[in-house]
Amino acid sequence: MALLSVSDLEVKFFTRRATVHAVRGVSFDLEAGETMGIVGESGCGKSVSSLAMLGILPRAGRVTDGEVRFGDRNLLELRDAQLRDVRGKDIAMIFQDPMTSLNPVLKIGRQITEVLTKHMGMDKANAEREAIEVLGRVGIPNARDRVDDYPHQFSGGMRQRVMIAMAIACHPKILIADEPTTALDVTIQAQILDLLRRLVEEEGMALILITHDLGVVAGVCQRTNVMYAGRFVETAPTHELFARPRHPYTLGLLKSVPRLDAARKEKLDPIGGAPPELTMEMQGCSFAPRCTYATQESRERTPELQRIDTKDHLVACWNPVPDQDLPAESSDEWAAR
Amino acid sequence: MSIAEAEAAQISLERPSGLWRDALDRFRRNPGALVGVFLIVVFIIAAVFAPAIAPFDPGKQVGPLATNPQGPSEGYLLGLDEQGRDLFSRIVYGARLSLLVGLVSVLVGLAFGLILGALAGYLGGWVDFAIMRVMDLMLSIPGLLLAIGLVTILGRGLFQIMLAVGVIQIPIFARLLRGSILGQREADYVLAARSVGVPGRKILLVHILPNSIAPLIVQGTLAMATAIIEVAALSFVGLGPNDPRFPEWGNILAENANRLQESAHLVFFPGLAIVLSALGINLIGDGLREAIDPKLKS
Amino acid sequence: MVPILLGLSILVFLFVRALPGGPAIALLGERATEESLEQIEENLGLDEPLHVQYVRYLGNLIEGDLGTSVSTRQPVTAELGRRFPATFELAAAAMIFAIGLGIPLGYLAAKRYQGVLDNVSLVMSLIGVSIPVFFLALLLKYVFGVQLGWLPTIGRLGITVSLDHPTNFYVLDSVLTANWSAFTDSLKHLVLPAIALGTIPLAIVARITRAATLDVLSEDYVRTARAKGLDPLVVDRRHVLRNAMLPVVTVVGLQTGLLLTGAVLTETVFAWPGLGTLILNAIRFRDYAVLQGGILVFAFIFVVVNLLVDISYAFLNPRIRYR
Repeated sequence: MALLSVSDLEVKFFTRRATVHAVRGVSFDLEAGETMGIVGESGCGKSVSSLAMLGILPRAGRVTDGEVRFGDRNLLELRDAQLRDVRGKDIAMIFQDPMTSLNPVLKIGRQITEVLTKHMGMDKANAEREAIEVLGRVGIPNARDRVDDYPHQFSGGMRQRVMIAMAIACHPKILIADEPTTALDVTIQAQILDLLRRLVEEEGMALILITHDLGVVAGVCQRTNVMYAGRFVETAPTHELFARPRHPYTLGLLKSVPRLDAARKEKLDPIGGAPPELTMEMQGCSFAPRCTYATQESRERTPELQRIDTKDHLVACWNPVPDQDLPAESSDEWAAR
Repeated sequence: MSIAEAEAAQISLERPSGLWRDALDRFRRNPGALVGVFLIVVFIIAAVFAPAIAPFDPGKQVGPLATNPQGPSEGYLLGLDEQGRDLFSRIVYGARLSLLVGLVSVLVGLAFGLILGALAGYLGGWVDFAIMRVMDLMLSIPGLLLAIGLVTILGRGLFQIMLAVGVIQIPIFARLLRGSILGQREADYVLAARSVGVPGRKILLVHILPNSIAPLIVQGTLAMATAIIEVAALSFVGLGPNDPRFPEWGNILAENANRLQESAHLVFFPGLAIVLSALGINLIGDGLREAIDPKLKS
Repeated sequence: MVPILLGLSILVFLFVRALPGGPAIALLGERATEESLEQIEENLGLDEPLHVQYVRYLGNLIEGDLGTSVSTRQPVTAELGRRFPATFELAAAAMIFAIGLGIPLGYLAAKRYQGVLDNVSLVMSLIGVSIPVFFLALLLKYVFGVQLGWLPTIGRLGITVSLDHPTNFYVLDSVLTANWSAFTDSLKHLVLPAIALGTIPLAIVARITRAATLDVLSEDYVRTARAKGLDPLVVDRRHVLRNAMLPVVTVVGLQTGLLLTGAVLTETVFAWPGLGTLILNAIRFRDYAVLQGGILVFAFIFVVVNLLVDISYAFLNPRIRYR
């Protein structure tokens, strides 16, 4: 049985002006130790899905349908007190901006020991020792001295390492990383991704990596889901996704990233148009207005995820990308970028 | 409906709008702000049309002299004072003074404050230092005390009082504008303007000032409310205007503060007038603040 | 801080020189005799250049000589010293009231954003900043004192109560001398004046706390704290409050200014024998020696309190502490 099983998750935001359908039916299974990526543009609902699973949606958000099975429980049915035992202990989450995601007036050691005392029942001395140890594991030099420092005394990359330390301190079964590298310099990004890769192996934990950057999933995730307008539109093992992007949106994403070694005159190939407003129920494929492969059926009937190519590759499209339009390079070349 | 139809519907919902029209819309939808506008309009009408609204001459004795003046009664809407004058008329005419003081003192504070703030912000260096130190000094004396000091020296004339109350507002405006200028001096659009050769003065007037107006407008309205209350406070302390042509709410209140039991109405109604006018202005100021930048939660 | 204090002394010095009638008459009163006038002119060195006069003035200040009160013929410093404890007790009580109620109110209002408490507190805050403190004092006196008679409205102690007051801080003295009837009586006398004085600061503190808390609640690190599975009370205490209090602390310093000027306006209403009534009477009776002393002392207190606030802010905010 899968470690985490999400079925038909729906999340809506209720504001005075409108209701936003942020997540419109997301399903996936996550096995123990598996690394899974969720790729999509800003606003497609990828972060919201995770927040919903953990019960930490912003005030206006509510889960309106679906099930999130973790072990033998449905997380969505738990009361907050029970969920709190899961959060930070069995499932941990790290966020995008380490500058603002750490409490500026608390020492970072404290911010780590507070999870240890709460979830592992450690006393102060043990927790401190453990905190120093985990800081060392994530690559903070001089951990013993640095444990008494404040967040503003660290650089961006170091702060993200501290966030990761906080997250893995209780050896969670699942780590959710929401855009962990987006706010960092490119060189630091690679370091952090390496760190995540290493820790995932050492801890044997599952990883959900959320990002808008395809290069990030290429190097880290075994499987990748592409999300658009609140739904998964394609899911496949990562190398398969890069080799045969069957959904026009995925293809568009791959083609729209500029390449250093491209010919100077080669034009950038962005996806025309803009993502739809999520304020109403929609019929038909949500990508259709921007899709060069759209058909009449695309506009009228919402496509469901269906098997294509291999048994692990699913795509939600009435008119998937034909073979001749598939790109030539492999995901390894992608990761190298 | 299909996606395309939905998108089309969405676009038609959004009218083209500018910065100020958005703000005005938000203001109009704010119930508090509308209440504020209503209150102030009432007072403005009272001030402008005082002769028509007030049933009696505010300075004339129209009823009996009494140590125990009557409260609201037959013929006298809010009662009489101990000199037999009609309270309602005095309050209506009092609106003239309060609004006048509010307006003039804020203008004084704004004018000087803007000049000083602009000089400090744009010239920087020792000019900035000197001006800011003087502002700090002014702020180190609590407002009312400063006003008391000024009025003691300058005298109790109406103009002097408005000047004094205006002067204590100067540091706030100066700081506000200076802060705004400093914040924008390094802004990209200013650098862009400078790089194409726009002279400093022009940048200040045409680019920076308009972007600084919003918080100044908000502060200006709040300063008006403060001014009205400060003048009343000066009256309470015995330094208020004593021009018989202009009854002052605080004055009426102060004269009767010792005789609460006998003349409660002479304390209550002028006080109420002060509260309602200040409240109206504060509501408008808050409404403006939210209209101009709804992201500000304070 | 020193330059500000110097600047203050210069301002007050110039103030005295600019008083109507000239400094000599102002400081001695209108019925001063020829010889005392001559004497003070010599004392102050009024025929000497201004900066020399200032140096003398500064010298006097440092020695603690603020002149002599016209009304009571006592040294101004003595008068100020005598009255200070009364105002301090009142201001302290008002501050405790303002902070003790204001912070929880603002905090709860923010947590139940747009709930009933929030809207009510917003309205109360608005009224609070629109009402002159002396009007509020009179209202309270009238309703609770005159009409309902629940609480005393005159002075610090009932006429029939006796108290040894070595320090002149009545609450403290009654504890020190174990005079419990005086203890309760002095507290009862504090209630109405403290509420009158503290309500406007209360409104402001509540407003600032609400705003600061709302800001903090939307910060990323609060989301992180929740994601770590911490108890909500812990999140509130350790993550939200500690950060929200920072701007509140600075505001508290500014409230002292309100309390000081409020004291001038409130004490007379309750016949409270403090610095406020002293200054008020000084204005009424043109006792300029006392007035300039009073202004100087008030400004001094204001500056010192704000300095303390700055220090404690640096202490609370590690970003300033460790640069």
